[in-house]
Amino acid sequence: TELRLSHQWSNKDIRHQVAQIVADEVAAADVDLDIKIFGSKSLFKPREQYKPLSRGQLDMTVLPLSYAGGQQPAYNLTLMPGLVKNHDHAARLSSSPFMEALEAKMADDDVMVLVHGYLAGGFAGKDKCITSPDDVKGLQTRAAGKSFEQMLAGAGASIASMASSEIYNAMQTGVLSAANTSSSSFVSYRIYEQVSCYTPAGDVALWFMYQPLLMNKSTFDGLTEAQQAAILAGAAKAEAFYLEEAKKQDAASVTAYEEAGVEIAEMTAEDFAAWRAIAQETSYKKFVEEVPDGQALLDLALAVE
Amino acid sequence: MAGHSSAAVAHAGNNPFLRAVAAISTLAGWVSAAMIVTAVAITCQMIFIRFVLNGSTVWQTEAVIYLVISATLVGLPYVQRLRGHVNVDLIPLMLPKPARKALAILTLSASIVIVAIMLWYGYEYWHFAWARGWRSDTIWGVRLWIPYLALPFGFALFLLQLVADLVAVLLKIDQPFGLEDR
Amino acid sequence: MDPLFLGAIVAVATILVLFSGVSVALGLLIVSGGFLVIFDGMRSLELMPEILFGKLDNFALLSIPMFIIMGASISSTRAGADLYEALERWLTRVPGGLVISNLGACALFAAMSGSSPATCAAIGKMGIPEMRKRGYPDGVAAGSIAAGGTLGILIPPSVTMIVYGIATETSIGRLFLAGVIPGLLLVGLFMAWSLYSTWKSGDTNLLSARSYTWKERFEVLPRVVPFLAIILGVLYAMYGGIATPSETAAVGALLCLLIAIVIYKLWHPRDLWVVLRDSTKESVMILFIIAAAGVFSYMLSSLYITQSIAEWIGTLDVNRWVLMGAVNVFLLIAGFFLPPVAVILMAAPILLPIIITAGFDPIWFAVILTINMEIGLISPPVGLNLYVISGIAPDIQLKTILLGSLPFVACMVVAIVLLCLFPGLATWLPDAVMGARQ
Ligand code: NA
Ligand code: NA
Repeated sequence: TELRLSHQWSNKDIRHQVAQIVADEVAAADVDLDIKIFGSKSLFKPREQYKPLSRGQLDMTVLPLSYAGGQQPAYNLTLMPGLVKNHDHAARLSSSPFMEALEAKMADDDVMVLVHGYLAGGFAGKDKCITSPDDVKGLQTRAAGKSFEQMLAGAGASIASMASSEIYNAMQTGVLSAANTSSSSFVSYRIYEQVSCYTPAGDVALWFMYQPLLMNKSTFDGLTEAQQAAILAGAAKAEAFYLEEAKKQDAASVTAYEEAGVEIAEMTAEDFAAWRAIAQETSYKKFVEEVPDGQALLDLALAVE
Repeated sequence: MAGHSSAAVAHAGNNPFLRAVAAISTLAGWVSAAMIVTAVAITCQMIFIRFVLNGSTVWQTEAVIYLVISATLVGLPYVQRLRGHVNVDLIPLMLPKPARKALAILTLSASIVIVAIMLWYGYEYWHFAWARGWRSDTIWGVRLWIPYLALPFGFALFLLQLVADLVAVLLKIDQPFGLEDR
Repeated sequence: MDPLFLGAIVAVATILVLFSGVSVALGLLIVSGGFLVIFDGMRSLELMPEILFGKLDNFALLSIPMFIIMGASISSTRAGADLYEALERWLTRVPGGLVISNLGACALFAAMSGSSPATCAAIGKMGIPEMRKRGYPDGVAAGSIAAGGTLGILIPPSVTMIVYGIATETSIGRLFLAGVIPGLLLVGLFMAWSLYSTWKSGDTNLLSARSYTWKERFEVLPRVVPFLAIILGVLYAMYGGIATPSETAAVGALLCLLIAIVIYKLWHPRDLWVVLRDSTKESVMILFIIAAAGVFSYMLSSLYITQSIAEWIGTLDVNRWVLMGAVNVFLLIAGFFLPPVAVILMAAPILLPIIITAGFDPIWFAVILTINMEIGLISPPVGLNLYVISGIAPDIQLKTILLGSLPFVACMVVAIVLLCLFPGLATWLPDAVMGARQ
C-alpha cells in the first residue's frame, strides 16, 4: 500500500525530517506500506491541504493546524498569543485534556494526530526593536495568524496582510516596518538582510504554533494492525526528535541574525504580561465570541501548568 | 493560436436558443469586467489607506483575490463566445471541410465533458463549504461558499456556451473552429 | 509504470490533444483529467475544481489584468502615434528614421503594457500605414512592428515575468528589473538591423521628405510627458516603498484609464467598454490557462513525473551549456505552438530544478526564457503577433509579414548568445537596485 504525505517545506526543514522519520521507520518495519512524501508544496498549496486530508483525498500532512481555523474555529487556539510559554510547556499542552478536546474536533473531520509538535517564533523590526506593545504603535506590521493580527491591532499597529514570501520585498521597499513569523521562516526568507533588530523566542515567547503530522482517520483504520503499529512506532520516535529540534531552531535563528549583524532584543516577563493583557482584550475575547464552546476550550488550555 | 484573432465572434443566426445563450454570456462578460474594475478600485483604496493614512488593511487583499478568481470563472462563457480562448488551429486549417467539421464536433464534445465534470465537482465543493460553514482563516473570515459560488456558476454558463457552439456547428449556423472559408 | 515512461506518454497525449484545435486551457484539463482517472482513480476528479480555484488564489495574479488594462486603455487612444511621431521628429535625419522611431515607440509602449499583442496593435495601427506610405517595403514595415511588439513581455511590466515569478517563487520586482537591459539591447539590435537594411537598399526616399524645425520638435514633447510620468510613477511606487509590484499594477491601470479619458477624451461609454472588453477577454484567457496549467502540474506531480524527471536529469553527466542549448531548443519548439504563459507554466516546474542544479541563475534564465517566447510570437507556424499585424494590415500577406520578421528573430538569437556570454546583462540591474542575493 502507498500513502501520500504532503507538506510545504524543503527537505532540509525540521518538519520534513519529522515526516521522513515516520516514512523510514514504516519502511524498515517491512509491513507492505510505503509513505511517499510530496514536499515543497509540490502537490497542494499549504492552506489547501486540510480539506483533501479531511475528505480522504490526501492521506497525511504536516501543517500548522491554525491554517484550518476557517473550517474548525477551535483550531485558532493553536496559534494564540501567550498561551504557550516555552517548549516544555508546549509538550505538556500536547498531552493535556485541552489537546484531547481538539483531537475530538479533528475526529469530526475524520482527521487524527500522529505527531504533536509546537514551533516558536518572534518579531523583527526594520528600524527598531519590538519587545513591548508600545513598540508597534503606528508601524505597518505583518503578523502570522489571525489572533496575532487582532492583538497587534489592539496594540495600535497597522495590519498589512500578505504572504510570508512577500515579507522580504515589502520590508526592503519600506511597505512593512515590522513582521512576526516563525523562527525558521525568519531564517529561510533571509529577513535578516532587511531588519535592524530581531526579538527571538527566549525564556518567554509569545508566538507558538502547533504544527502536527496529521493522518486521515478512515485511511488509518483501514490499515492492518501491523501497519498501524509501524506508523505509531515511527510517530513516537519522530515526536521525541521534533521536541528536541524545535528547541534548537530558536537558537539557530539567533545565530543567523547575529552573523548578519542584526541586533538581538529580549522580551522581558513584564513585556510578556503586557502583550497578554492586550491579547485577553482582543484575540481571546474574539475567540470566545466566535466559538460556541470557546471559553471551555480556553480554560482547558490555561489550566495546563 | 490563430483562433485568437483570425476567427470571428461565434454566430448565433436567428436561432432563439443560440441568441439567448449569447445574451447570457454577454451579460456574464459585463459582470466579469465589473469585477475586474472593482478589484482595481479596492487595490487603490488599500494603497491609500496604508500609505497615506497608515491604517490597517485586513480585508482588501482577500477581496481582490476572490474578485479576480470570480471574474475569471464568470468570464469564461463570454470569452468562449468571443473565441478568445487560444487554440492551435494548425491541423484544423489543413484538414478538408468534412474532416474539420468532424474534428470540431469531437473537440467540442470533449470540452463539454470536461466542463461538465468541473461543474459537477465544483458544485459539490461549493456545497461542502456551505454545509460545513467554512470560512477563510483571516480576521475578515469570509464565508467561503460565497467565492466558491463562482465555480458552479462560471462552469454552468461556460457549459451552456459550449453546447450552443456545438449546436451552431451541427445546424451549420457557424463554421467549425470559427474558421471562415478563405 | 516507470514515471519517466509515463511522462513520455503524457507528453505525446498533450501534443495530440493540443493539436486537435481544442482551446489550450481545456486541452490541459482534458489531459489532466484523463491521466488522473487512469492512474489515481475516479476520486481524484473531485479535486480538480478545488485545485483550479487554489491556483488562482494568489494576490500576485491581480497584476495580470491590471497590466493588460494599462496597455489596452493606452492603445485605444492615438497615444501610439504620438509616441512615434515625437520620436520621428527627433530622428528625421537618420536613415530609416521612421522604422527606428516605431521601434523606439514599441519599447516605450512596452514599458506601459504587460502584453505583446497590445504593444503590437498600439504602435502598428498608425505606424504600419505611415511606413508604407513613405515607401518602406511591406515586409520591413510589418516585421519591425511584429518584432517590436514582442518587447511587451521583456521590458517591464510583463505578464510572463509575473507568471514565471509565481511559478518559481522568484521576486517579481527583480524579474522586472532583469528585463530592462536585455530589452534595451534588443531594441538596439532591432534598430541596427533596420539601419543596415535601409542603408543597403540605397533608397534615399526613406530619408524623411521634410525636416522639422526645433519648434516642431519641442511642441510634440508635451504629448509624451504623461506616458513618461506613468512609467516613472509606476517605477517609483514599485521600488520606492509605496506598494508591492502587484499592487502597483492597479495604480498603473487607474492612471492609464484616467489619461485615456481625460487627455484623449475617451469618455464615451462604448469606447470605454471596448477597452474593458478587450482587457477582460485577454485576462480571462490567460488566467484560465494559468488555472488549467495548475491542474496539469498537479497531475504531473501526483504521478511523480516532475520529481522523476528532475532526478533523472540530475544523474545525467552533460556539459551545462549543452544542457542550456537543449533547454533552449525545447523552449523554442514549445513557443512555436503555444502561448508563452502555457509554456512557462508547464515547463517551469520541470526546468527550474535542472537549471539551478546546473548552476544557472533563475533570474537570468527568466530572461532567456522570455526571449525564446518572443521568438515564438513572431515565428511560424502560429505566432500571435503575426496575426495581430494581419488584423491591422489585412492586405499584407502573412508570408510577407513572416519573412519581414525573420531578421528580427536572428537579432533575438544574437541576444540570447550575448546573454549567455555576459549573464550580467540580466543580473546586474536587479542586484544594483535591490541588493545582491546570496
Ligand atoms: Na512590458
Ligand atoms: Na510561433
